[in-house]
Amino acid sequence: MANEVQILTVSELTKEIRRTLEESFEQVSVIGEISNFKSHISGHWYFSLKDSDAVISCTMWKGFNQYVFFTPQDGMKIIVNGKLTVYPPRGSYQLDIRSMKPAGLGELQEAFEKLKKKLEAEGLFDEKFKKPIPSYPQKIGVVTAIDGAAFKDLISVAERRFPLVEIVIAPARVQGSGAAESIVNGIRLLNQYPGINVIIVARGGGSIEDLWAFNEEIVARAVFKSKIPIISGVGHEVDFTIADYVADLRAPTPSVAMEIATPDISDIENFIVEFLSSSSANIEEMVESKKEDVAAFYSSYGFRIPLDILSRKSQQVDLSLNKIIQSIEKFSMIYDKRISLLAKSLDAFDIQRVLKRGFVLVRQNSKFVTRAVDFNTEEKAMLKFYDGEISTH
Amino acid sequence: MTKKKTKSNFEQDLSRLEEISQMLEEDNVELEDAISLFEEGVKLSKSCLKTLKEAELKITELKKELGKISQVEED
Repeated sequence: MANEVQILTVSELTKEIRRTLEESFEQVSVIGEISNFKSHISGHWYFSLKDSDAVISCTMWKGFNQYVFFTPQDGMKIIVNGKLTVYPPRGSYQLDIRSMKPAGLGELQEAFEKLKKKLEAEGLFDEKFKKPIPSYPQKIGVVTAIDGAAFKDLISVAERRFPLVEIVIAPARVQGSGAAESIVNGIRLLNQYPGINVIIVARGGGSIEDLWAFNEEIVARAVFKSKIPIISGVGHEVDFTIADYVADLRAPTPSVAMEIATPDISDIENFIVEFLSSSSANIEEMVESKKEDVAAFYSSYGFRIPLDILSRKSQQVDLSLNKIIQSIEKFSMIYDKRISLLAKSLDAFDIQRVLKRGFVLVRQNSKFVTRAVDFNTEEKAMLKFYDGEISTH
Repeated sequence: MTKKKTKSNFEQDLSRLEEISQMLEEDNVELEDAISLFEEGVKLSKSCLKTLKEAELKITELKKELGKISQVEED
């Protein structure tokens, strides 16, 4: 075999190289820094991994990269797992990657800071772009996992505080691969849905990897682009995501996001009850003061003049009457009688008033019995009520 | 559709109630106006309280495409 020179075609040689390489490096883990990262429209990823002395081309097909929870960025240090393969048309070898993870949490932190700086410089966090949150929303859009704890919390807060509202949920993946795209899609759908007043983008607590979708640039840009105000409620109070910075308002948790988005029904009820009591008091006060005005008018000098005239006239009448009385003094007895009669009838009238209040006059043998000791139980009694008289036996 | 209208009416009623409340607190309102405002306010209060009492949270789920959304809404 050593003496015989075997002549191979390029294809044959390449095939041989390919077999050798693929067999020897069927499963390798490599650490390196990403450069020239490109996500092709087909969904495949192309980039290079490098260190200070070497570079290797990498591919990661859509079928695999959809399981990567973060979007790789140039400069990020990652650990990949895959096999070596050869691309015959270019005569090049490349790493065919099956899985990928950041080399450490520091890598994510760095990516976070980098994106934050970039978007901040672009003005995406500027106060002037923050849209006001409406006080009485009719429809609240929610982007979150429909089967997640965050959604349950959101619903129970809405139910308690403002059940008048309609919750429109755009179910989204909130962690892992495809989460960012799913969240972006939710925001887009809610922007097209009629009548949404505010959108809550939410997720319960989790690790930095779990929350990573909310640190993706596409999510930040979708939040910024939304015409409807967005409240973010991601993770716990200590978790800050890029989405939080871009959102019109950042709530520390999903529940608080819903509390911010809804008025409290009991506040409204209190307002109404307060309105009813204070305004009826106002009206009463107004009526009282009008009454006083009328009374003041009656006693005013101008209003008294006709009365004064009247009293002067009546004085004249009295004087004339006196003269007449004097002139008919002989009939004074008759007048006395009349006066006493008048007095009597007045008395009677008073008794009637007393009776009307429920008192009863008791008579026995044509005499009024005014004390219990005077009452004879053996005798017939006449009871005089306001409305009539009855006799007892 | 009717439910939607009630909701927007609620907001209108409530802001009208706030308006009335402010007007009644002003000194220069005429008694007759005040009484009719008050009557209007009582009516609005009743309907608002009723709406609040009967309110039930409505949840609509969006599908991935917008075509399906309108179907969900019509249901």
